[in-house]
Amino acid sequence: MPKKTHLYRFHKEEGGKLIEFSGFEMPLWYKGIVEEHGAVRNSVGIFDVSHMGRLLIEGRDATKFLDFILPTNVEKMKDSRAFYSAICNERGGIIDDSVTNRFSSSKYMMVVNAANIEKDLRWLESHASGFEVSISNSSENSALIAIQGPLARATLQKICDVDLGSMKRFAFSTAKVAGVECIVSRTGYTGEDGFEITVLDTPLDSPAKAERVWESLLEAGKEYSIQPCGLGARDLLRLEAGMCLYGQDLNDDITPIEASLSSIVSQEKSVEYVGRKVIDEQIRNGTSRIRVGFVMTEDGIPRHEFDVVLGGVKVGVVTSGSFSPILKKGIGMAYVPRALSEIGQKFMIKIRNLEREAQVTRMPFYDTSKYGITRKTSSST
Amino acid sequence: MTEREEYSIPEGFYYTKDHEWVRRKTGESDVVLVGITDYAAKMLHDIVYVTLPQEGQILSQKEVLGQVESVKTVADVYMPVSGSILKTNQELTLKPELISESPYESGWMVEVKASNLDNELKSLLSRNQYSEYVNQLKASEEEA
Repeated sequence: MPKKTHLYRFHKEEGGKLIEFSGFEMPLWYKGIVEEHGAVRNSVGIFDVSHMGRLLIEGRDATKFLDFILPTNVEKMKDSRAFYSAICNERGGIIDDSVTNRFSSSKYMMVVNAANIEKDLRWLESHASGFEVSISNSSENSALIAIQGPLARATLQKICDVDLGSMKRFAFSTAKVAGVECIVSRTGYTGEDGFEITVLDTPLDSPAKAERVWESLLEAGKEYSIQPCGLGARDLLRLEAGMCLYGQDLNDDITPIEASLSSIVSQEKSVEYVGRKVIDEQIRNGTSRIRVGFVMTEDGIPRHEFDVVLGGVKVGVVTSGSFSPILKKGIGMAYVPRALSEIGQKFMIKIRNLEREAQVTRMPFYDTSKYGITRKTSSST
Repeated sequence: MTEREEYSIPEGFYYTKDHEWVRRKTGESDVVLVGITDYAAKMLHDIVYVTLPQEGQILSQKEVLGQVESVKTVADVYMPVSGSILKTNQELTLKPELISESPYESGWMVEVKASNLDNELKSLLSRNQYSEYVNQLKASEEEA
């Protein structure tokens, strides 16, 4: 039996297509991936992401512990801020990527991938000896809703009692949303401005608070044609934004350096952390393969696990691929030899029995003056 | 689902369990049009790309003639009957959504000069048989 989130009733009634994802029965789409994607790029959309894990790390040594677990400089992080990072193993391979919220130096909440909750918990617990820290899974006592898009702020502000305009990107605060106690953070995984709302104190068997927030958001966003969005749109949006999906673009054998995530690695950090030897060595000497974004310059849509080919020889592999409704082209991410990773480099993608040309490009894939958090024109509706 | 989805399954077509359709071209005995059904298009949803065969290519029944791709998935399309490809619907390369909008008319994929039409049509489903088949699929999906 797949698990259900707090908002399952809505998904069942309104979802066009439900699928099992990481053990949860979730909407792939309601009205359609392209339409939902368009709502987030041009206006506003909401996502149920309650399937994601929320792990609490508490105790006197919480900061010290996370500095041992993550390549990021956790000590330097400010309170009421979230940061993206990755839990790594001794080989530097990524066990999971996560967004961690720092409440204080003795309390953190890690938001992790649904499929990895048990793996992460085991890893954290087995590395906690010597630290005064407690680790708990609070996933089922709260719901998590993302509201994303250029009109996310205008929508949420109508029903939220804190000033969202003064909330910086990656900042978070407790707030009342539709009268319900929540944590609101200015984060997301679509490339657009937006917020993630943790609806507190709503166990799975009494989902009323989560439903109230969800329905109030839909009501508040009506004038902007808000859309509930499924996992299909979420996957497409994150790909266009150049963001990784664990299990495809990241896994236990890929390091943050190979994944082009060196921004999460702190070199000034003075303490040892798991995987540091390998990661430091890779920063000094480079890696043989690296993650790049590419756009198809010929027909065809690249897909997960298609080969990257040059001169008839396999040189790499596609880890994510889809059709971008913004570019009207196939786009993807691939791991290729460093020598083939420069912007503008051409190689071929083997699409079934045909080789089609692709070119390495910057990520995000879209024009950042028109879309995403740095867009210059605010959407007019 | 709020409203029960209805699928258009017109008379005068032959169907496969892989959700292709075949229709004889008016006035020609062995030339047929081939496409995918409304049910298939609705299952795929958000069709964004279509791969078509070369004109002149000779394919047997059940060989892959091309692909229809949505944002998330790739579906192979199989030859419902054997024959050579006379024409492909080039409009689909620019407007793949025609398959969803008009699966039995402007969303046709290939025109085939069939080589064993009368025999092979017997192996295909009638409107009623296909309709029953789709209902079974829906029922088992709802049970799951």
